[in-house]
Amino acid sequence: MEFLNPTALYGFLALPLLLIPYLIRRKPQRVIFSSLLLFSVPEKRAGGRPWGRLRLPPIFFLQLLLLTLVIAALAEPVFSVRTSRIAIVFDNSASMQALFGQQTRFALAQEKARGLLSDLGPAATADLYLTVPRLEKVRAASLGPVEAAGIVGTLTPYDLPDAPIDYQVVLSQMVREQKYDRVYLITDHPAVGQTDALRVLTVGQPRDNFAVSAFNISHSSLVGSRLEGTAEIANFSAKDERIKVVLRGGSAVLSSRDLVVEAGKTAAAIFSGLPNHPYYELEIDNRDGLPVDNRRFAVPPAGQNLRILGISPRPQALNSLRAIPGVSLDLIAPQEYDKADRSGYSLEIFHYSTPAVPPANPALFVLPPDNNPLAELAKPVSRPIVSSWREPHPITRYVNFALFRPAFSRPLKPRLSGEAIIESPSGPLALATERQGVRYLVLGFEIFPYLGRENLPVSVFTLNLLDWFFHGSGAERRATGAPLIFSAAPQESFLLTPRGDKIALDRGANSFPATYFQGLYQFQRGSHRELFAVNLDHKNESDLRQPTPIAIREASSAAVNVSALFSIWPYLLLISLVLLFVEWFVNPRPIRSAFGLRSPPAT
Amino acid sequence: MLPEPFTSEYLSQLETLRLRTRKEFLGSQTGSYSSPRRGTSLEFADYRRYSPGDDLRYLDWGIYARTDRLYVKLFREEVDLFAYIFVDASASMAFPSPREKFLPASHIAASLAYVVLANHDHVKLHLLGNSNHAPSPFYRGRRRITDCIHFMTSANPEGPLELAPALAEYLRMLRRPGKAILISDFLMPPSSYQQGLNLLRGFNLDIAVIQVLTRQEVDPPFPNGGLRLVDSETNAEIGFQWDAAAQQDYKSRLAQHNSEIRSFCHQSGIHYSLYVTDRELDDFVFATLPAIGLFK
Repeated sequence: MEFLNPTALYGFLALPLLLIPYLIRRKPQRVIFSSLLLFSVPEKRAGGRPWGRLRLPPIFFLQLLLLTLVIAALAEPVFSVRTSRIAIVFDNSASMQALFGQQTRFALAQEKARGLLSDLGPAATADLYLTVPRLEKVRAASLGPVEAAGIVGTLTPYDLPDAPIDYQVVLSQMVREQKYDRVYLITDHPAVGQTDALRVLTVGQPRDNFAVSAFNISHSSLVGSRLEGTAEIANFSAKDERIKVVLRGGSAVLSSRDLVVEAGKTAAAIFSGLPNHPYYELEIDNRDGLPVDNRRFAVPPAGQNLRILGISPRPQALNSLRAIPGVSLDLIAPQEYDKADRSGYSLEIFHYSTPAVPPANPALFVLPPDNNPLAELAKPVSRPIVSSWREPHPITRYVNFALFRPAFSRPLKPRLSGEAIIESPSGPLALATERQGVRYLVLGFEIFPYLGRENLPVSVFTLNLLDWFFHGSGAERRATGAPLIFSAAPQESFLLTPRGDKIALDRGANSFPATYFQGLYQFQRGSHRELFAVNLDHKNESDLRQPTPIAIREASSAAVNVSALFSIWPYLLLISLVLLFVEWFVNPRPIRSAFGLRSPPAT
Repeated sequence: MLPEPFTSEYLSQLETLRLRTRKEFLGSQTGSYSSPRRGTSLEFADYRRYSPGDDLRYLDWGIYARTDRLYVKLFREEVDLFAYIFVDASASMAFPSPREKFLPASHIAASLAYVVLANHDHVKLHLLGNSNHAPSPFYRGRRRITDCIHFMTSANPEGPLELAPALAEYLRMLRRPGKAILISDFLMPPSSYQQGLNLLRGFNLDIAVIQVLTRQEVDPPFPNGGLRLVDSETNAEIGFQWDAAAQQDYKSRLAQHNSEIRSFCHQSGIHYSLYVTDRELDDFVFATLPAIGLFK
């Protein structure tokens, strides 16, 4: 026998409470009688105690039986019909690495799965599924219980957030299409409701956790050569905590400090004047629930200068950028773009031009043609008026928009989700967007040539956006699960993963999608080496206090074709109802009104 | 206008009754009860040798013809009756309410008083238990029934009762023996009521006892469970676990108690009757009381 709602079984712990009314000695009713001559039996119980000798009338046992049946019915007991084909879906997201005692939640999930498999008959089959990076079967062929139990031990959780899956729909579909007798989802999320065919097994308990929620290494300024590290520590607990933060460059400890992080909030730390290292690692010294988010990696920007690749049919205008300190500029014609080696550039400026697909590097689009992938352009407007601008924003700070009057503009209509930085009555003039950690900015007006003091508002704006790209450069914002993008080349390339695996990349490949683990990925092509810092970037995974419940509703009879369970709780409820009626008639009513005396005066 | 149940029919029925005495008393005036004295009634009592000066009308000429001696016939004297009605007016008579216990007892007392008054005898009412309440004067004549009823209904039962001392206080003032009727619930220790009744016997009174109980006292309808029982007279409290067994125990104790009273009365030549107040009053007065010999 199993219980679909085993939490209700805790109700049995409350059964002894039923004794309390029988233990508590009610204050005796005070009755005046003509004479006590014939009542010579003294009361034997102690007078002052609020409790007395336990008297258990037969009605108590009836009530006990009634409550027991009700609690058992609430636990939804079912008799299992031996199943022959099941699926076990493992939640292998990052939060499953959270520790529960000495074991991780995923280890507990594996134990539960082995228990389920051991209950199967030898002729039964089981399919194993993982939820991230996408819900898919571990092995294409169905497995026997023994073979499946062996494979369960090889499964590992990924440093990935939960997949956005509607488990009710997906699992019901699996039951329907794959003809499973039952599908088990083993996760750290609690379940609301169960069905005969869909069972959610929850592992682990809510607990406190602390996480490095952000870590970034950048140049302190566009022209400066010193590096600056910014970090954010989050406290997912109900109490303030002093946390020691250690910053390492390579293997050397560069700095450490103590931060007091308030309950449920974040605290920031800035490390200035950092020496150059290939990569940096920030770690908090805290033994909390989830170890994976206690570390975070970052790599410095590709170069000390902002290295720009200009793609323009009119390169003279872009040439003026060379006047800005810290900027190195390479100019090519649009038709040369596909053949050019674009690696190493911090920014690509498409001036009256556009690539076929959004580039791998951060890019600025100035008045792109209509076939660009980011925004549609409206009809030109001469001397547009800036009606509003995003504030505070690094691009708009210090800009006097009262004097900001481009000669003409083409208002934008975004094709992708983006943020309007500057708007005019006719539409946005500047759109910023970010895809997979890469920043793009589309301008509907001309900002070149860079004229310095001669056009101060536009020059400030230009410097702001270069600074924005400069701080956005680097790979520190890459999240696990997001592909690594690099320039395609016909040469042989390798990728060294954080787990030490050396993966040979296909010739011409320009991305690597399987960034399932947090850490440093080293891209190697000939003598060119490039480090990518990939981090778990999902705060919900770090917050182990109250996981979102998974709602499982009773599917329609058409949706679930096979029931592996025989529910007996309706019968228990029926018996409880009968007992309730029996109790109704058996329980003696208080004799108050029958006593035809005046109500006794209170003492 | 007399209150219920003293309707004209009821009073008419009462007028047909006469109290029966088992003793002869010295009355004050001519009445209908036998006296130990010789008098002028029609009931022959004895002969006596003629003495000069005797009324010649009472000479028995038959005896003179047979014996040639003069004898005069003596007749019993018939005198009036002095009745004393003692009514328990302690707090226990107000349980569960005066209307349910003391009032029926008062009605019995007034009914008996009317029987006495209707025969032109004397009746005096006493309330026991309330020392502040003086006894009534002797009433005589039917019209005094209103005074009797008023005397009884003006009483307020309260306080404890020690039967013997309460009776003794009144008996000290008693000058003429007669009929004594004691109406009480007798919820008191046997020694207490025995002492009181013996005191009445010592004053040469012909005694009748009427025990008045309510249905609640015969069959207490307490709720099951713990109770704090309070004595209505002494305010003493006891804790009591009331259940079916306790109820049965109480009933047997009450039966035993009543049996002891009845037995004592029987042995002492006292009329005894039990009246449970849920019974009709006229049924009790016209059926039960004659059956125990209280009425002729």
